[in-house]
Parts: sequence; C-alpha cells; structure tokens
Amino acid sequence: MAVQVVKVRRPAQSFSSANPWLAILSGLWVSTRHFLHNLGLFMRGRQDFAIHFPEQRLVQPPALRGMPVLVQMEDGKERCVACGLCEWACPTTCITIYPAETTDEVERYPKIFDIDMARCMFCGLCEEACPEEAIVMSRQIEIASYSRAGSLWHKQDLLVPVAQLKTRTDYLRRNYDR
Amino acid sequence: MSSPAKTVRVTVDNRVIEAPEGATLLQVMLDAGLDIPHYCYHPKLSIDGSCRLCQVKIDGMPKLQISCNTQVRDGMVVHVADPEVESTRRGVLEMLLLNHPLDCPICDKAGECWLQNFAMRFGRGTARTIEPRRKQGKRMDIGERILLDQERCILCRRCVRFCREISKTGELAVFNIGDHSQLDIYDRRLDNDYSMCVADVCPVGALETKDFHHQIRVWFLEETASVCPSCSNGCNIMVSAARDRVWRLVPRRNDEVNDTWMCDAGRLNYRFIADPDRLRAPLVVRDGALAATDWPDALGAAATAIAEFVKRNGAKALGAIVSPHLTNEENFRFGELLRTLGAGRVAMAVRRGAHDDFLIKAEKAANARGVRELGLVAGPDDGLEELLRACEAGEIKALYLCGDDLIDAVAPERLAAIVCRLELLIVQDLRMRPEFARAAIVIPTTTFAEKEGTFTNHAGRVQRITPALATPPGWMSDGEVFTALLNLVGARNDRFDLAGVWAAIARDGGRLATLRLADIGPHGAVLEPAPGA
Repeated sequence: MAVQVVKVRRPAQSFSSANPWLAILSGLWVSTRHFLHNLGLFMRGRQDFAIHFPEQRLVQPPALRGMPVLVQMEDGKERCVACGLCEWACPTTCITIYPAETTDEVERYPKIFDIDMARCMFCGLCEEACPEEAIVMSRQIEIASYSRAGSLWHKQDLLVPVAQLKTRTDYLRRNYDR
Repeated sequence: MSSPAKTVRVTVDNRVIEAPEGATLLQVMLDAGLDIPHYCYHPKLSIDGSCRLCQVKIDGMPKLQISCNTQVRDGMVVHVADPEVESTRRGVLEMLLLNHPLDCPICDKAGECWLQNFAMRFGRGTARTIEPRRKQGKRMDIGERILLDQERCILCRRCVRFCREISKTGELAVFNIGDHSQLDIYDRRLDNDYSMCVADVCPVGALETKDFHHQIRVWFLEETASVCPSCSNGCNIMVSAARDRVWRLVPRRNDEVNDTWMCDAGRLNYRFIADPDRLRAPLVVRDGALAATDWPDALGAAATAIAEFVKRNGAKALGAIVSPHLTNEENFRFGELLRTLGAGRVAMAVRRGAHDDFLIKAEKAANARGVRELGLVAGPDDGLEELLRACEAGEIKALYLCGDDLIDAVAPERLAAIVCRLELLIVQDLRMRPEFARAAIVIPTTTFAEKEGTFTNHAGRVQRITPALATPPGWMSDGEVFTALLNLVGARNDRFDLAGVWAAIARDGGRLATLRLADIGPHGAVLEPAPGA
C-alpha cells in the first residue's frame, strides 16, 4: 500500500498553552487567597473554622457531582427515553434500563431504570452521555443505607422535579457548550 | 457472461485488484476490503442506483460514477481517496440527513445504523439547515410484524426490491416524486412469510420489526453464529443474546442455503428458549408422583429402570423415538446407547407443517436428515408407524422418547392409548407435557442456543451451531445425558465432547464419516451423495 502523508492543520497556540507556568501561578494564588482570607477572619477573632454537619451545611457549588438522578418533567413523567447511552457509558455498570413503548409523542420510556448506588462512583459519565439532559448529577450526597437492597434505587426514587435541578442544568449548558 | 470468466485488473487508489470480468465495481472494492459507503446496493438484490453514495472517480469518465452500477473493465483506474469523491459523499449524506428526524435515542437501529455510521465517518458532522424538518408518518402499522417510520426512510428502495424480487409479493413502493417521495404500502399489508427481512435490508430504522421494537440496544447484544432450528432448511443465523436471554435471530449470509434471508416463523421461534414452563430439573416418580431431583439421581434411576425392564421383558420390548431437534453428535451417542441396550425398534417423529418453494420446508425440525444419515431410522415414515403398531400389539412395552413431535405426528386418542399401555416411559423434553404425565422419568432437554454440535439440513449440508447462552451449573446437555447413561449401562467411561464423538463417528464408518469436524466451516459442508443415489 502506498504511504500517504497527511498534513494536519494544528490550531494556533494560545497564550496560556504557550506559557504553562502561568497555571502554577494561578494555582498558588488560589491557595494564597484562601490563606489570607482565613488569616483575616482569625485576626478579627474567629476561632472555629469547621462546619458543624449536619446542623450546618455547606452550600455546594453546582460543579459538585452528587448522586445521579432522573429529571422529572412538569407533567410528572421522566425526560428519559431509555436510549441506553448512560448504561453503556457507565464504567461500573451500575445502571440497568429496560425500555418500553408508550402512546405519547416520544414513544419510548424506561419501564425499569435502576441505579445501584453501592456501585456508582459519581464520575458523571452518564450525565455527559445523555442526549436528552435526562440524567444529571444532583447535589444529593447523603445516600447511605442499611442494606445492599437499600442502595438499589429505582426509577420512582430517582425522579427529581426539573425545577430543583436548575442550578445543575444551567451549569451543564454553560460548561458543556450544549 | 462468458465462461470461464476472464480476469481483469482494476487499479483503485494505486492498488491493483484482480476481478472477474463483468463484476460490479462496488462489489469488487468491497471484496478487496475497501471501505466504500453505500445504501441502495445489496448483493442479493437488483441494482437501483438511488442513494448516490458509492460514487467514485474513474479516469476517462467525465463525471463521478456510481460504482454499484459500473462493471469492471481491464485497466480501469479508480480513485476513492479523492477530494472530489469525499466532498460528494459529504454532500449526499447532508442531503439524506436534511429531513432525517435524528431520533436515534429512541430508534432501534441505532448502533447498527448505516446512516449513523457513514454520517459519522464520511459526513460533515453538523447540520446547516434551520428550516423545520419534514413531518411524515411514524410508527405506521403496515404489517403483522413490521412498523414503518417514513421520516427515517432514505428512499434506497432496498425493501421495495426485496418485496418484488425475493418474496415476490410487491407490497411496498415509493409513492410520489422528488421531495414528496415516501415509502408506503399499496392497499395490501406487508404480511408475507419473509416480511421481517425488510427490517434487515433497511440500512436505517425506517422499517423495524415489532418483535424487537424497544427491546434492548443492539450494542449490548452478543452475536453467535448458529443455524435456525425451525425447519429442515437450516438457514444460517446469528443468535443475539444479552442478559442471559436471546433477544432476536437474524439471518447470516450463506449463498448455498439462505442467501441473506430467513422466514418470519423461524425468526420468531426463539421464545421457547426462555419458556417459563421449561423443565429446570429432571423429574422422577417417587411415591406415585413426579418430583424434581438432581441429575445423577435421575440418570441413575433411568439406568436402573431400563436394566430392570430389560431383565423382565427382554431388550426387544424396548423402543425409542429419536428427536430430529438434537444434533448429529447427540443422536450418534443415543444410537450407541440404543445399540448397547439392544433396543427393539427405533423411530423418529417429525412435526410437519406448511412449506413453500423458497426457504420454508415441511419438516419442522433442523436435523431429521441427520438422524436418517446416521442410520438410526429407516423407512418412508422413519419407522414411526411400525413402532406405534408394535406398541399397540404389546411388543414394545417401554419407550425412550426424545422430543415432543410425537404429539403432532400421532392422533391424540391413539397416542393416549399407546402411552397407557406402556410399562415404562422415559421422556426427554423441553417441558412437561400432559400427554406424557405417565412418564417414570422426565429429563430436560437443551435447546440449540445452549449447546454446540452440527445439524444436517434437508440437502445434506452439515452445519455447526455454537452456544449463545450458558446453561446453569450442574446442567447436563442431551449428549451428556446419553453419555452418562451409556457409561452406566455399558460400564464405559466416556465424556461428551465434539472431538471425541467425531472420532467415534469416523470409526463407525457411516455416511457422516465422510466428513471431519474440521471440514465444517462457517457455511457448513455437504455430505457425499449416497452410493446409488
């Protein structure tokens, strides 16, 4: 077979990629900023820097990946069409979907949608794979249970109204260029 | 075409390919392993030239040519990796996608869709249109087993040609012209015996089988090459399995048997594998009723019962009915067992049904010819009538019965009378049938999807099957059951494996001994014609 030379057109180097040491400086600046901030609080007399969970809770940033949940539409139905991409993307195979047909305009829905939270590692690949924005990482992290059966979450447990997930969906659209 | 076919040399992207004169350029390139996208071309259908995707540049031709409708000539110089060809493909794909609904998340074809594959590999990746997409019929119920989605259709007309040329029923057509073209049926519904093949030939998800609709994503399926067990034609198939069950059967190309087709009845006949009524353990009569037990116990009971029966009545009073659903190897082992026992009469019952002059054969079992070739049964009705008469006359008092084809082959009253007269009945079957409630021992059988072996089709082609599903731990396949019984009654110490059985077949010197296991390739091997035949 004849050897072919393919000329690849590379994008022009940006300023930040040409100067990687800038990233070190900006990282140092984050640490220094926190240090100075806390130092200032300490100088003004603050003694206690711990958050007293569960009485006190942090306001989690939208980038936090808590347990994956299913988006519930205003009509109470799931947005999921059981396409199976999250099931395929999941590295721990903790998602199990059995599709079924409805008479709705979108003819397909998950008859069974189970996530084994004991196996889930909160990587967020399901959310990234989802073409419908139907499974998102919530800010819910308190999911311990007393039994293995208790960590198997079914569709009804996983549904969260779309209004409560606005922070995350806004974040997704901003960051994943959707 | 003149014969012998002359060989011509074609140059494709600086590579010289030899091909028979008159061959189609597209097929020559595909056979050479080149990756040429195409939709309307199908090796078993006539040329249509409607998709325009396989265009290539040929030196001396003023414009790009569709390679599916170009015959190879000696010295032809073809360019595929060419900017003009690539931009044409991009354009064709963009046009095909103009009105495509892109409902891949809910489309059953997603994952094995030619439009997805080629659009990802050769397309431009993003749409430039802002106009709304054309609305057409979705989920149209056009036949007993087929759904039509007109929006997804790319009008390649493969299905139309299939219905005209292969099933010769002509239900489908493309109606209207130009931008208004759409696939639909005439006033007759798509209900022919091969209708589900249109879902196979459809390169997109426009035609889907109702059976596989919204069942499982295709990327979860593991495909195993096998042979359809539903009739004696022995169509080559792929068994698609996942999550410990079979989800569909699809035809596998074998130009000697079924081309790329299979009948709907065969395709839908897989649910018996996961039948909830299937026997999960052997049953043995204890205290007057059949009770589940483990395999060694049941086989021990069977061997003891047979030995005691032979001691009382003589081996000549023992009859057997061979199953045409079991493989050659299993039936060979069964034959060895019957010879060791000295059984009086052996017959075979075969269920019969509708047939046509294409693929569907009357004998609704995969291996009836194999049983005959093994020499287990003889006579026009495979010895069944003689055996039944012997049972009625009281000459045969014990029956080793494999399979349930007897229920369909014999009138119910006659069968009931025969079963009542029997002293000992051993049944090896998929389910517990009420007709055989008087059985002393019932042994579960193993389906074609769970074992390996060979079937001999009606034309004497020996073809291999491979297991698509695992059997539960401790389970014994039919061959292992026969071998275990043979070990018990014949004081032997055999194992059941294909190589061992084939060595025994070769020693036996029967008709099957003309073949060796290694001869049986993916498309099978034909038995030598019988001497004098």
